[in-house]
Amino acid sequence: MVEFQDVSVTYNSSGVDALNKVNLKINDGDFAFVVGPSGAGKSTLIKLVLKEIDATSGTVLVNGFNLKKLRRSKVPALRRTIGVVFQDFRLIPTMTVYENVAFVLRVIDAPAKYIRSRVPYVISLVGLSDKAKCYPTELSGGEQQRVALARALVNDPQLIIADEPTGNIDPALSYEIVELLKGINECGTTILMVTHEHDLVRYFGGRIININKGSIDFDEVVGGAHDEN
Amino acid sequence: MKISSFRYLVSQGITGIWKNRMMTFASFCILLVSLLMVGLASLTAINLTRIISGIEDKSEVVVVISDNADKAAEAELEEHLKAIPNVNSIELYSKEEAWNGMLDSMTEEERAFFKYADENPLPDTYRLTVKDIELMSETTAQIETLDFVESTQSPTTFADVLISIRRIFTILATAVVAALVVVSLVIISNTTRASVFARRKEINIMKYVGATNAFIRIPFFVEGMIVGLIAALGALLMTKFAYEGVYNIFSDDSVIWVVMGMKKLYSFNELLFPVSVSYLAAGAVIGAVGTSISTGKHLKV
Repeated sequence: MVEFQDVSVTYNSSGVDALNKVNLKINDGDFAFVVGPSGAGKSTLIKLVLKEIDATSGTVLVNGFNLKKLRRSKVPALRRTIGVVFQDFRLIPTMTVYENVAFVLRVIDAPAKYIRSRVPYVISLVGLSDKAKCYPTELSGGEQQRVALARALVNDPQLIIADEPTGNIDPALSYEIVELLKGINECGTTILMVTHEHDLVRYFGGRIININKGSIDFDEVVGGAHDEN
Repeated sequence: MKISSFRYLVSQGITGIWKNRMMTFASFCILLVSLLMVGLASLTAINLTRIISGIEDKSEVVVVISDNADKAAEAELEEHLKAIPNVNSIELYSKEEAWNGMLDSMTEEERAFFKYADENPLPDTYRLTVKDIELMSETTAQIETLDFVESTQSPTTFADVLISIRRIFTILATAVVAALVVVSLVIISNTTRASVFARRKEINIMKYVGATNAFIRIPFFVEGMIVGLIAALGALLMTKFAYEGVYNIFSDDSVIWVVMGMKKLYSFNELLFPVSVSYLAAGAVIGAVGTSISTGKHLKV
C-alpha cells in the first residue's frame, strides 16, 4: 500500500516545487499507471516511494513504513518490499542474468537452496531460461528489461515500481512487458507503472493517475481496448 | 549475516579483482610504487642512522690515571667509572701497551731514536665509550672529579658535530618519509576513488534492491585488501632486489667501514621480518580502508 498525505516536495537547489500537496492512495493489489508530461513530478513521486528523497512536508506511507520516521539504516528493509524496474534496466554488467536475479535474494540472506530453485523459476517466467548464463551486454533491450522484471519479482515484493519500463524497447515488446506486469499483478502484487506512452495506457486501461505541474489532476479507472478484446 | 552470505561476499570480492581488472591494475601499480617509495626511503633512513650511531659508538673518552695510583687504586677507579650510568664500556690501556702501540706506528728511524729511552713516559689510561653521546660533556666532568684521575680527553667538539648531524638527519628523514606517506595516500585515495567511481552504478543498483551498506562494502573491502597485499608482496620483492644490490656494493669489508669506524648496513635478512610486516600491513590496510571509504560516498542513495 502506498499513501501520500498532503505531500509537497521543493528542491532546495532550484527552488522548484516538484510536488504540491499531493494526496494519493494505492491499495494492495492495485495496478496504476502514472502519466504526465516531463517535469510534472512523476520521478519525484517514485523517488519519494523509494526514500531516495524526503518530502518537504506531508506524510508518505509505503508497505507499512512511515517514511518520515524511517531511519537511514532501515531503508534497506523498506526497499526489500519493493521491486523496481527502470527505463535503463540497471543490471549489474559484471554479473550474469542468473547472478543479477539471485543477487536480490542474497541481499535478504535467503538460503542457498531456495536461491537455486527460485531464481531459475523466475527467469523461466520471463522466458529467459536459455539466457541465464549470459551477461547483460549480450542481451537485447527487451531481454534486459525482462531480466530487470525477474529481478524485481524474485523476492516476491509487495509493490513493483516500473519507471518508464518500455522507454528503451521496441513498441511491440512494450505490450509484452506490460502483459507480464499485469500477470504479476493478478497474483496480488501492487504495480505502479510510470509511463508517457498513452497508446499503452489506452490499450490496457485501468487506474490512471495524471500528474501535472506537481499536482494530481486526474485519478480514475478507465476501460481499455485490451479489456474490450 | 549468515556464513554462506559472508562467503559469497568474499568470493565476490575475489572475482571482482578480475572483473574490474583495468582499475584493479591501476590501483595495484599505484600502491606498489607508493609502498616502494616509502619503504626505500625508510630503509635508507634506518641505515644512515645506523652509520651515524656507529661513528658515535667509536667516540672514546680517554681517562689518564695518576702516576701515584697503584693497582688497588686503579681497580677502585675502574669501579667508580663503571658506576657512572652513561658509561657503556671500559677498557684499561696500560702504559706498556701504549708504548708498544706508539712504537708500532713509527718508522724504523723514529723507533731507533726511542730505543734508548730508559723509562716509559706514557701513563696508564682507561678508554671509555658512552651510551649517549649527547651527555659526553657531563660524563667527562663527572669523571674528572674522581680520585686518581690525572686528566681526561674527550672529543666533545666532534660529538657536538655528530649530535647536530644526527638531529638534522632525523628531522630530514622524518620529513621526507612523512611527505612520501602523505603523497602516497593522496595518490592512492584518488586511484581508489576513481576505481569505485567507475562502479558507482553497480553500487547504486545494489542500494535499490535493498542491500545494506555492509553488504555492499564487504566485497570492495576484500578486493582492496587483496590488491593491497599483492602490491605489498611486489614491493617487498622489488625492495629485496634493490636493497641487496646496494648492500653488495657497500658490504666490502676492507674499505670505508673499518677506516671510518662506521657500522655496516643492515643485511636484508636482518630487516626481512619488520619490512615484510610493515609492507603487508600497510598494503592491506590502505587497500581495504581506502576502497571502503571511497565506497561510502556512493552509498548515500
